[in-house]
Amino acid sequence: MTSVRGILSDIERRSIGGRIITSFFLLTLVVVGLAYIFPFVFAFTAGLKTSSEIFDPGLHLFPRQAHWENYAEAWRRFNMTGMFLNTIYVALGGTIGRLLVSAMAAYSLSRLKPAGQTLIQTLILVTLTVPMIAYLIPLYLTLTNLPVLHISLINKYWGLWLPYSVSAFHVMVLKNSFDQIPQDYYDAAAIDGASPLRMFLSLTLPLSSSILLVLGLLTFVGIWGDFLLPLLILRDSSLQTVSVRLYTLTRSFPMNLQMAGAFLGMIPPALAVLFLQRHMRGGLTF
Amino acid sequence: MNLSFPIKKWERLLQRQKVRDQINAYLFLLPALGLFALFSWYPILKTVLYSFQKVGLRGPAGWVGLNNYVRLLGNPAFAIAWRNVLDFVILSIIFGFMVPIVLALMINEMRRYGYIFQVVTYLPTLIPVAIALLVWRFIYAPEGGILNSTLKAVGLPSQLWLQNPKLVKFSLIIIMTWMGAGGSVLIYLAALKEINVEVYEAAELDGFSPWQRILYITLPLIRTRMAIMLVLQIIFVSQVFTEPFILTMGGPGNSTLTPVLEMYRAAFERSDFGLASAWSVSLLMVLGVFSAIYVGLTRRSEASRFS
Repeated sequence: MTSVRGILSDIERRSIGGRIITSFFLLTLVVVGLAYIFPFVFAFTAGLKTSSEIFDPGLHLFPRQAHWENYAEAWRRFNMTGMFLNTIYVALGGTIGRLLVSAMAAYSLSRLKPAGQTLIQTLILVTLTVPMIAYLIPLYLTLTNLPVLHISLINKYWGLWLPYSVSAFHVMVLKNSFDQIPQDYYDAAAIDGASPLRMFLSLTLPLSSSILLVLGLLTFVGIWGDFLLPLLILRDSSLQTVSVRLYTLTRSFPMNLQMAGAFLGMIPPALAVLFLQRHMRGGLTF
Repeated sequence: MNLSFPIKKWERLLQRQKVRDQINAYLFLLPALGLFALFSWYPILKTVLYSFQKVGLRGPAGWVGLNNYVRLLGNPAFAIAWRNVLDFVILSIIFGFMVPIVLALMINEMRRYGYIFQVVTYLPTLIPVAIALLVWRFIYAPEGGILNSTLKAVGLPSQLWLQNPKLVKFSLIIIMTWMGAGGSVLIYLAALKEINVEVYEAAELDGFSPWQRILYITLPLIRTRMAIMLVLQIIFVSQVFTEPFILTMGGPGNSTLTPVLEMYRAAFERSDFGLASAWSVSLLMVLGVFSAIYVGLTRRSEASRFS
């Protein structure tokens, strides 16, 4: 029987030295934890101050009087409804595209034994070692003038959805996950006359729903916060996402409104933690 | 009895089935192959080709041999940018690399509520970088920034966090550690959970103190994971862009100029895509070396998984 223990045993933890060590750890973690959430608190309270109070000399984290109307004003003047809708649109399309394209490829590589599988897998794996930033320029020029079709995807959401759909990481993670599904299920389905598409839709995907959900959420949050590609593709301000819009727009506004806008922009991805923490407790890693 | 007819028919059916299987397999692969070709393989190849060409807004306009590379190496920015990356790497080994290990070791000793700290350190990784940097810019602000207000309140001189060439790299590394440590903490915690507690029990019986257990058992057992994280860290830091782009624009005095930032400027401010591609290739070469090390390390860790 293995007990639940760390490096220290339960007996050691109850000794005086052990208590001092664990208290020291706890104290350090609390201090570090507070430092970690400090920027959030700071943005929130700075957003409640008046534009002159924010530059008052002296240490004052909390406002003399909470100006909640700053948040309403930031929301209205930055047109945050439009900003959020754009971002949701971009992130949702990108996430669906990436999951669908990656899951289909992973299913094929995992079960359908395409000819030249090793070559395809190697080519996909190679891209894992080359970050997008290294081939940004030809990617950008490709998006401004697609081969054969000769159309530009600048100021079009497809200009983000299509490149976002490419992810070697997702293909490999999903392939590993699909590999774990027992072959018996597929054999049974084949005897019942199920087509590959049928098996993909009613066997592979439902059995992988939890990994698809976690991957999907992380992808959504990742695309939500992406900066460089949306900055280059979405030139029209009415199309821009939260990251790009707040970056280009806030400079010309008072600091208290900037902080209020920044705080509002941080809320949706932070909410993802509430869902992810259940998985973290189980020890899921990415 | 004639058996040959049904067997031949079977063979033909099998053959047809094989072709149909391959068609199905490739139909599922088709979207991925098309998109990888268009937005990954083709641009990677193009980067290398462009680096030998004169490329403007309208696309390639003739081969120029090694001209782009001559201009790249002749530009003082090349040495400065890579020197800065080296500084960032050294600083990030002290902070970005060590901090998650220490945090994970501490969180691992928490019986209850350990996951709360895990969640808290993970939170910044989810936040849009550009938005978090807006907040950090104000935290570091010379006047009214909370950091200088705090220093003044305790009687210390205020600092120009982003304007002093001696401090600015340190200031950026603090932000990067804040944003990146959470993911590493998760990975280290998983590695710590994999260690069989019986090893600790045995060591305790043999009279190993807690520190000796960390030094002689824990750290050696997560050594490969640490090496992998270190290489990933270097790969990540070599691509620093958003922090200097939003906070310092490479300044003060080029002290936060990075290869990707200079590549961005060459391409999108001066429309010199050929030179920018030469920058990319220099980045590709550095990343290629470390990616190869990374692949080698992950192979080895899979081969010798401790259980």
